[in-house]
Amino acid sequence: MNTTRRGGLNSTALALIPLCIAINIAIGQLVAVLKLPVYLDSIGTVLVGALIGPWVALITGALSNIIWTLLGINPPAIWFAPVAAVIGLIAGFAGRAGLFQRPSPRWLSALIVGIFLFALALFVMLFLNSSTDADGNLILPTAGDMLQQQPIVFVLALVVGLAAGYFILQNAGYAGLVGLATGVVAAIISAPIAAYVFGGVTGGGTDALVAAFRNSGQGILQSAFAQGTVSDPFDKMTSYMLVYLIVQALPRRLLQRFPNARAVEETVPMGEPLASR
Amino acid sequence: MQPIYAPGTSLLHRLHPLTKVVGAALVIVAIYLLPWLLAPLALFGMLLMLAALSGVADRFLRTALRVLLPITISLFVIQGILFPPPGSTPISLGPINLPLEGLEFAFLTSTRLLAFTGTFLLLLQTTHPADLVFALTERGLPRSIGYILLVSLQIVPDMSARTTAILEAQRSRGLETQGGLRRVRAIVPLVGPLVVGALVDVEERAMALESRAYTAPGLKSSLRQLVDSTGQRVARLLMLLTPVSLMAGRIALFFLT
Repeated sequence: MNTTRRGGLNSTALALIPLCIAINIAIGQLVAVLKLPVYLDSIGTVLVGALIGPWVALITGALSNIIWTLLGINPPAIWFAPVAAVIGLIAGFAGRAGLFQRPSPRWLSALIVGIFLFALALFVMLFLNSSTDADGNLILPTAGDMLQQQPIVFVLALVVGLAAGYFILQNAGYAGLVGLATGVVAAIISAPIAAYVFGGVTGGGTDALVAAFRNSGQGILQSAFAQGTVSDPFDKMTSYMLVYLIVQALPRRLLQRFPNARAVEETVPMGEPLASR
Repeated sequence: MQPIYAPGTSLLHRLHPLTKVVGAALVIVAIYLLPWLLAPLALFGMLLMLAALSGVADRFLRTALRVLLPITISLFVIQGILFPPPGSTPISLGPINLPLEGLEFAFLTSTRLLAFTGTFLLLLQTTHPADLVFALTERGLPRSIGYILLVSLQIVPDMSARTTAILEAQRSRGLETQGGLRRVRAIVPLVGPLVVGALVDVEERAMALESRAYTAPGLKSSLRQLVDSTGQRVARLLMLLTPVSLMAGRIALFFLT
């Protein structure tokens, strides 16, 4: 198959992008039907990133949200197109680095999720226990105090994270790490949009979190950001992990067709299995 | 999933897609720039009237409300009543006190979202997606982007149907989709077949594109013909100038007060 570039997208990319946009939307809706506590509306975008590259994935992400709008299912989705685009961009660079093909040791996965959950617990506790002084300045308690006052919370976060990394993430540690990072970046970009356009709420279950953060005296922007930081990383980690599992399960003949996968394949000696199928 | 486009012969249906796009852009700019509290609601009322004239009001209202009702409720409860901006003036309503500024914020945000959603819904209900994309590619939107948009719009319903089929197939094999953690584990056997199936399609679709010389350079002719008129060209120009004056007005207002 001749797929040379002519100043634009080649035919493989052109065929893949609409399918991945449809995957984003179909799975996003399925997850809503099953009432799962995640969105999973960027699996297609991450897949394009893993297989083709950052710029094509960026287009996929942005167009995905535009299609949500054009279908009339969820017209305000177009506001979050920049967030989806950045998710694609990061996934593409992760794919170029071969993170979706390389299995990680399980202890590393455990460590990654454990440390992340510990940091997240610290972040949330700092947020919930902050206060404002008479001038309206924000006073954050010091991390050391927090650790001394409620050590049980942090130990629990660390243990749950270690277990989740070891038993759920397993060999997808590298992909999971990028997924967690993507979630934090997504939270940073989406917070201003959520705050100024949507008043910081989504009409979904995560609004309880927003209410909790608002209760501690935070503004709308800060609450939207804190809510995103709590829920987005796990959503993106799940998406990245699923894409890792899919890429691992794909037949080599299929993988050969995509540039990102091809680049990594060349460095793996022939005859050696990529990972357990 | 039924398509949002409702065929018809009303005035809005007959307008050139670009005229409608420019009009929609104008309304969206107005929603966010007009300084009056009631402006977005008034604009939504105008859109609703246009929808009624085009015979699409029923679907228009239902979709707008279905999408925005949960957000509106959250906005009023969380940002409006429970946690209003500091220093809100309370207005007493029988036994309870409601913060005025909080309610204003929730009202403004939700009516803005309502008018924004309404603008897109009306545009899409009265414009065939292929006409819209064709009009945009005529004005310089890359052809590949137009292709992706159109194909995505077509295959999303297919993909949703395929997802339902996979869900039912896996359920018949005993996959648990109810209850606790088991539901989360059910994602893998659902997503796997869907994605692998789609990737197998890629080769066929790519070859179909190549065999139709899609990536070949040169001019392409189209089956579609769009009707444009001088009146619409003038209207578009005027509508493009209005946001500029709106912005200038907003900036003047900002410096004067």
